[in-house]
Amino acid sequence: MNAELIAIAVFIITYALIIDERIHRAVAAMAGAAIILCAQIVPWEKVPEYLDLGTIFLLMGMMIIVNTARKSGLFEFIAIRTAKRAGGSPMRVLILFSLVTAVVSAFLDNVTTVLLLTPMLLYITKLMKLNPVPFLVSEIFASNVGGTATLIGDPPNIMIASAAGLTFNEFLLNMGPVVIVDMAIMLVMLSLIYGRTLKVNPAEQETIVRTIDALDERAAIKDRSLFMKSVVTILLVVFLFFIHDKLGLEPAVVALTGAAILLLWSREPPEEILEKIEWPALFFFGGLFIVVGALVETGLISQLASFVVGHVDSTEEAMFIITWFAAFASAIVDNIPLTATLIPLISEMGQTMDVYPLWWALSLGACLGGNGTAIGASANVVVIGIAEREGISITFMQFLKIGMLVLVVTVAAGLGVLLLKYGW
Amino acid sequence: MGYFNSLLQRKFKDVAGKRYETIARDYREFLLTEEETVVPEVLSILMPLDYFVKEIPPQLYETLSSYERAKVTLVYIVDMEVIRIVADSLDEKAIAEFRRKREAFGEDLLNRVITSLEGAGLTVTSRMFAGEKFDNILELMKGYDLIAVSKKYGTLTTEIAPLSSVTLKLAQMARVPIIVY
Repeated sequence: MNAELIAIAVFIITYALIIDERIHRAVAAMAGAAIILCAQIVPWEKVPEYLDLGTIFLLMGMMIIVNTARKSGLFEFIAIRTAKRAGGSPMRVLILFSLVTAVVSAFLDNVTTVLLLTPMLLYITKLMKLNPVPFLVSEIFASNVGGTATLIGDPPNIMIASAAGLTFNEFLLNMGPVVIVDMAIMLVMLSLIYGRTLKVNPAEQETIVRTIDALDERAAIKDRSLFMKSVVTILLVVFLFFIHDKLGLEPAVVALTGAAILLLWSREPPEEILEKIEWPALFFFGGLFIVVGALVETGLISQLASFVVGHVDSTEEAMFIITWFAAFASAIVDNIPLTATLIPLISEMGQTMDVYPLWWALSLGACLGGNGTAIGASANVVVIGIAEREGISITFMQFLKIGMLVLVVTVAAGLGVLLLKYGW
Repeated sequence: MGYFNSLLQRKFKDVAGKRYETIARDYREFLLTEEETVVPEVLSILMPLDYFVKEIPPQLYETLSSYERAKVTLVYIVDMEVIRIVADSLDEKAIAEFRRKREAFGEDLLNRVITSLEGAGLTVTSRMFAGEKFDNILELMKGYDLIAVSKKYGTLTTEIAPLSSVTLKLAQMARVPIIVY
């Protein structure tokens, strides 16, 4: 009983600290894990069982690849190319940047993607003398929607795949159609809401095009050789992800192999690259796995799973509940701890029902739920934070109004697609 | 909304760290500032020429032709220091011959450039005199909106030093836009 109380208390306090972030979330998770381990709720010999190394090493491998590629100027190159393709038309800027953000976020880390594309987007909107908010919120939504498409697109997907043993292609086949439908819906919604304000006169458009055309994307490439090596390695890694199950390789092995190839081939100083690994994020995951592990170890998750199974009549109903619960909870809590908590719950439910469709429901809710509030996902925080630094204010309520609308419509549409496949 | 702002700042710091500052600095290297995007009005262009400027690339005429209302002033300077050295070491006849040849070269170059610039639809005036290339051009450039100077102006260039020291100094000192061709 005492162990259960401690596990619940540590879990709730850690969650509260993560939401409030007065203490760094990595520190909060590590402190929570320390209490759990000191209280011996999770015995030391069981730590490797709860630490999901598949997730941690996959994140680590991708961080090395992305940070090396970033050094070459690859992302700036993509941003300038996209700006040129848009031809000074505000609607094309919004659509093209959203599509590029979605595609890049599907294969690389969302935070790095928006960190590197947002300055370019702000620059163009300044040239067009337009309100940047529609472009910024579109970029946020695109990043969260795009990341839903693949196993490596968003940390919740990495965690789900690692726990459930799902492959890259399974993710693409199940979540790909959802993402295509949701991207289309999201862009139509934004063009209906903001379309009338996104206009520049033809004379100004010509000046904008001239200024953007004067930008030299080749000047953004800081190291041509590293640029080529990064592009080749990323393509190779993506190709290996497509066939990792046929090769019998774990996704984490693919990411680490790609990282090793790039380090070996680029001859970049490993100290410099490895120190850019986001260690706090990895420790955050590690701590969180132990805190949630305590709930599993004490049998609380098992009890909760029995309760849910006892009150759910069908897979469709379970999909419905998990999707909407994950979506609204992710809008408030970070989707990483939420997914970490729901994974063992769904695994437990797997003892009495078919949970395969539930993994997709969890992915849908956890990834798209981030669109609901300004603090729902890391991409939101980064874009709004950059905007704030550039003197553009997006208030919590301003974002909430559009975010919740996008959340409800895209999650409903996504759930519809999944139910067409697994339900009705 | 005070809580939201401080929460956002905390989360931004934890998620992005110092990465944004580095990225913003990198972008500033090749994105123009608001000031730089304002196209300056160019009504007068100064184009220094000398013995070392043998050829003018056709692209320069094309570029200058976009300043439709601009008046181009060609200034050919014979280096006074060279004339002094020649005067110290050669006889009167040789000095006269040297000056004649240099002036003939200058006249020829000026005529060719005038023809090309007028062909591009620009109004052109020209001057030729002996003087100090760097000092005179630096003084003259104050009255112009744009300078177009050859990378070979003033000295011979080499493979390892493809930009003349005079041009480099002019580019560093210029307060108006400068085209180095």
